[in-house]
Order: sequence, then structure tokens, then C-alpha cells
Amino acid sequence: MKLEHVGTVVLTRTPIGALVRWVAGIRASLHTKLVGAFLVVTLLFIAMGAFSVRTILQTSDQTRQLEQAHERVAWSQQIEVAMAHQMHYAGLALLSQDEASIARILRENNRFNETLAKLDAAGLPEQHDLVEQIRAGQDEAMVVVADMANAIRDRNLGGFIRELLGRQERVEGQIAERVALLVEREQARMVSLRASIANAHRASLVTTATFAIAAVALAWLCGFVISWSFIEPVRQAQSFMVRVGGGDFSARIQVYNRDEFGALAKRMNDMSEELGRLDRIQRDAAAELARLNARLEQASSAKSDFLASMSHELRTPLNAILGFTEMMVEGLYGPVPEELKEPLDDVQANAKHLLRLINDVLDLAKIEAGRMELALHEYSVPELVGSVRAALRALAVEKGLEFGTDIPGDLPPARGDDGRLTQCLMNLAGNAIKFTSRGRVDIGVALEDARLTFRVSDTGIGIPPEELQNVFAEFRQVNATVTRQFGGTGLGLSISKKFIEMHGGRIWAESRVGEGSTFFFTIPLRVGEQIEWSSAPSSS
Amino acid sequence: MEQRTILLIEDNEYNRKIVRRLLSRSSYRLLEAVDGEAGVAAALEERPDLILMDVQLPKMSGLDATRLLRADTRTKDIPIVVITSFALSGDREGAAEAGAAAYLAKPYSPAELLALVHRFLPE
Repeated sequence: MKLEHVGTVVLTRTPIGALVRWVAGIRASLHTKLVGAFLVVTLLFIAMGAFSVRTILQTSDQTRQLEQAHERVAWSQQIEVAMAHQMHYAGLALLSQDEASIARILRENNRFNETLAKLDAAGLPEQHDLVEQIRAGQDEAMVVVADMANAIRDRNLGGFIRELLGRQERVEGQIAERVALLVEREQARMVSLRASIANAHRASLVTTATFAIAAVALAWLCGFVISWSFIEPVRQAQSFMVRVGGGDFSARIQVYNRDEFGALAKRMNDMSEELGRLDRIQRDAAAELARLNARLEQASSAKSDFLASMSHELRTPLNAILGFTEMMVEGLYGPVPEELKEPLDDVQANAKHLLRLINDVLDLAKIEAGRMELALHEYSVPELVGSVRAALRALAVEKGLEFGTDIPGDLPPARGDDGRLTQCLMNLAGNAIKFTSRGRVDIGVALEDARLTFRVSDTGIGIPPEELQNVFAEFRQVNATVTRQFGGTGLGLSISKKFIEMHGGRIWAESRVGEGSTFFFTIPLRVGEQIEWSSAPSSS
Repeated sequence: MEQRTILLIEDNEYNRKIVRRLLSRSSYRLLEAVDGEAGVAAALEERPDLILMDVQLPKMSGLDATRLLRADTRTKDIPIVVITSFALSGDREGAAEAGAAAYLAKPYSPAELLALVHRFLPE
């Protein structure tokens, strides 16, 4: 976290930020950039190595020169020694005056010449003159030695000794002087070589250190720049994702990268745009749906209103028709002629049927508009069943059917819309009597787990299995002929199902063709004030 | 025994005709009103022995008229039978709450109405 903070400061306060953007903008893959940075650092190290090798070669050459100079100084010293011996033997020869000493001088002379030859061979060209002068001095010294040898051989030394010694001494002095000059020059050269080597070492050290520091710094810089060149887009991508995830499809990534991250950023922008487009489409569609839905609801509500008022308007004259017909049948307008009795009964029956249809349609319309509400009361189950039985008993007796009830004696008071429940039970029992020509119809009640189960069974014609699912659908009787033959609106079971569901219950049927049918519905013993009813929208 | 008076407040002409016919052979005197306001005025004026009140009336609803008559000391003891064409849950409560003595749901048969009248006003 702290390091990252440092990174951010470096990015915003130094030109490195611009460098990062520049690197990000290089049109190359991330791999190429990494390899490039690696190559740059590697080249720097190679350059450093080459420089070191050059320095080592240079100093080793100078060291060799130094060694040669040492050798030459040693040889010069040997020459000096040989010369000293020469002097010594010359003095000895003059004292002893024998030729053996001369031979020794010659031997030293040889050694002198050999060493001088080596010196000349190994010497530097600019010292050749000096070596030649030394050689000339030695030749001159040899002339003195030859004169000395001749004088000794001729025994004619006497007055020569001083002169010979003087010459000898002068020549030797000259040589010594020149050798000393030679040595001095070599030593001066050695000093400069040593200084040069030391300088080279120091320079090499400084350069190597500089290279090393530069290489490390460059490696750090490359690492920093390249890593930030993709940390930046990754961070942007992260905040982009957060925004897009939050539903902001106007989010776009702005990156300098022209590498994989640049391509990724473009893809993400495309994605965001596409998501935004899809979102707009979806929103438009949802709005359109909502509009349609509102219009549909309006239309549905208008339809229900129309049906409700239609039903009401239809019922008022129908009531009058029924009233007048009944009064005619009852003889309130005077005795009815025999031939008019049947048509009057038919008018009455059809008017009643029409009224039932209108009532059922009104009920359905109200249910579907979500305007049907239950009126919950305390009620007694035996009373409810008793009223249904009382209402239908005459019909059952007329058809010669047994009509029984089976109710437990200890039922607690129930709660629900007894009017609607009576309507349901009337429907089921009325159907049972309608579709049964022989045998019996029974209404049973059972209480289990605070739920009442009503059962209406008959020994009638039964319902084929493939029709059993459809009996609760609107305008469904087993077939159209049945409707004509047995009457009924075809809406009773459908309405009953809705009422039972409004009570939080369930209705179903079991049947065998030719043996009879049993209809069940189960509802809570005590229905609460608030009833969740989900099969129709509660728009009002 | 003096003649009993029944006030019928009903906007539908044919329904009035039915009741008129039903009661034609009886001893009751029948008064008729065609809307809520006229009905209330007639009730205050005539003090009938029984009021048959349709729920859906022009100018003033049957339930409002019932409430009004219940609140008035001159008419508060007159039994009112509320008649509605909506055999729906809620109407019965509405009628009872407004102070109706009985409730008759359309479609009623003429015999039912006659029985109800006899209950309140035995001949």
C-alpha cells in the first residue's frame, strides 16, 4: 500500500508519468516490451564487460612494459658492474703487469657487450642513440685496454700508467654517466607507467561502478515503467467494471496503451456500449410492456365495468318479467287458460335461467376484476349444509333420489363467507342431483388440522377422466348436449373454484364413468380477515 | 282497524306496477315515490306504517334515505325493508348498518315480498 503510494507520487510528480504513457502508447505487445527492456539492460551489462576487458588488456600491456623497464634497469646495473670490474681489472693489470688480468678485462668486456646487446635489443628506439654512445665509449675503453695490453707486453709501461689510467677513468666516467642517464630515463618511464596503470585502475573502477549503477537504475526504471504501463489500465478496468456492474453503461476506459491492454480496453468499451444498447432496448421494451399492461388493465377494467353494469341493467327488466310471469302463473290477473299454462312455465323457466346466467357472469366479472371481496362471518357448518339440503330436497325427492348428509356432531363454529360457501355447495349438490337419475346424493363434512373438507358424492353418470381436468373451466360441461339436457350455466363450478380459492382452499373431483362422481373442497376452518388471493390482479 | 299505509320508494315503473298489483287485493294503502328525496319527503309527510326502499335510487340512494329517516324522530320507528338488485355480500351489512328492519334481495318472487309485508303488517 505504501509502496503503491510512492508509485503514484512518482507517476504524478515526475516526468516518469509521461514515460509510462509513452511506453503504454508503443504499438507493440507486452512481451515485446518486456524483452526490449531486458535487452537494453543486457546490452548495458555487455558494454560494461567490454570496457572492463579493454581496461584489463591495457593495464596488462603497461605492466609488461614496466617489467621490461625493470629488466633493462637490471641490465644497466649489470653493465655498471661489468664496467666496475673492468676498471678493477685494468687497475690490477697495471699493477701486476701481467696479461692474465688483460684476459679478465676482455672477459668483462664480453659480458658488458652481451648485456649491452640485450639492452639494445629490448630497448626502446629512442634509447638506441644512448646505447650506441655507450657502445662507442666502451670501444674507446677497449682501445685504452689494448694500449694497456701492448704497453704491458712491451714492458714499456713506466710513464704510461698515469696517462692510461687517466684515459681509462675518463672513458669509464663517460660510460657510467650514460648508463646512469639510461637508468634515469627508464626509471622516469617506470614512474609514468605506474601512474598510468594506477589511473587505468581507478578509471576502470569508476566506470564499472557507474555502469553497474546505471544498469540497476535502468532495470528498475524499465520494471517500474512497464509494470505501471499495465497497472494503470488494470486499475481503470477495475473501476470500469465496478461502474458497469453498477449499471452505468456510459462508462468508458481511456488508456494510452496500444498493446494487449489497449485491445482489451477497446473490447471493454465495445462491451459497455453493447450492454448499454441492450439495456436501452430492454428498458424500452419494459416501458412498452408497462404501457401495454396499463392499457390492458384499463381495457380489462372497462370490460368488467361494462359487464357489471350490463348485468345490472339486464337484471332490472328481467326481474320485472319474472315478477309479472309469476303473478300470471299465480292467477293474480285471473285464471290462466289451460293451453297457456305450459308456455307460461317455459317463459318462467327461461327467464330464471337467463337470470342465473347474468348473475354468474356478474360474479365472474367481479372476480376477474379483483373486485370480489369475501364477507367473513361466523357460521355453523351444520346450518349451512342444512340450508342447502332444505333448498334441494324437493328436487331430489322429485327425482326419486336419496339425499343424505354426514356431519360430525362436535364441529366448532367456523368463519368464512357463508353466502359464497352456500353458493358453492348448492352448485355441487345441484349438479349432483342434476346428473343422477338413480341412487343417492350425499353431502359430507370432515374436520382435520383446522381445515374443513366438504364432499358431495353421487351415483350419477360420472365424468370421463380426460374431462375431469376441465370441469372447473368456464362454460365447460361435459358437452353441449348435457347443458341443454340438464340446464345450468356452465359457470357454476368455475365460480365455485374461485370462491374456494379466495378462502385459501382447493377444489377437486374424482369420478368413474357410470358409477358416479365425488367433488371435494377443502377450506380453513376459520378464514382470516386478510386473504391472499393470487389468481386475479387486485386492481381496486 | 284503520287502513295501514305502505310507502314504496322505487324508480323502476314495472317494479312499482308489480307491487301495486300484488297489493291491489289487500287492504293496504300504497303510496309511491320515484326517487330518494321524494321518498323521504313522502315518509315525513305521511308517516307510513312500512317503507319498501329500493337501494339504487336517483337523487339519493336508498341507504342514505334509510339513514336519514332513522335519524329523524318522526320516522325512526317506521320499519324499513331495503330491496337491492345486487345479491352481493356487503349489501346485507350495508342495509343493517343503515338501520333497515329487513333486507330483500332481487330477484325476489312476488310471494316473498307479500310474505315480508305480512310479517310487519299482519292483515
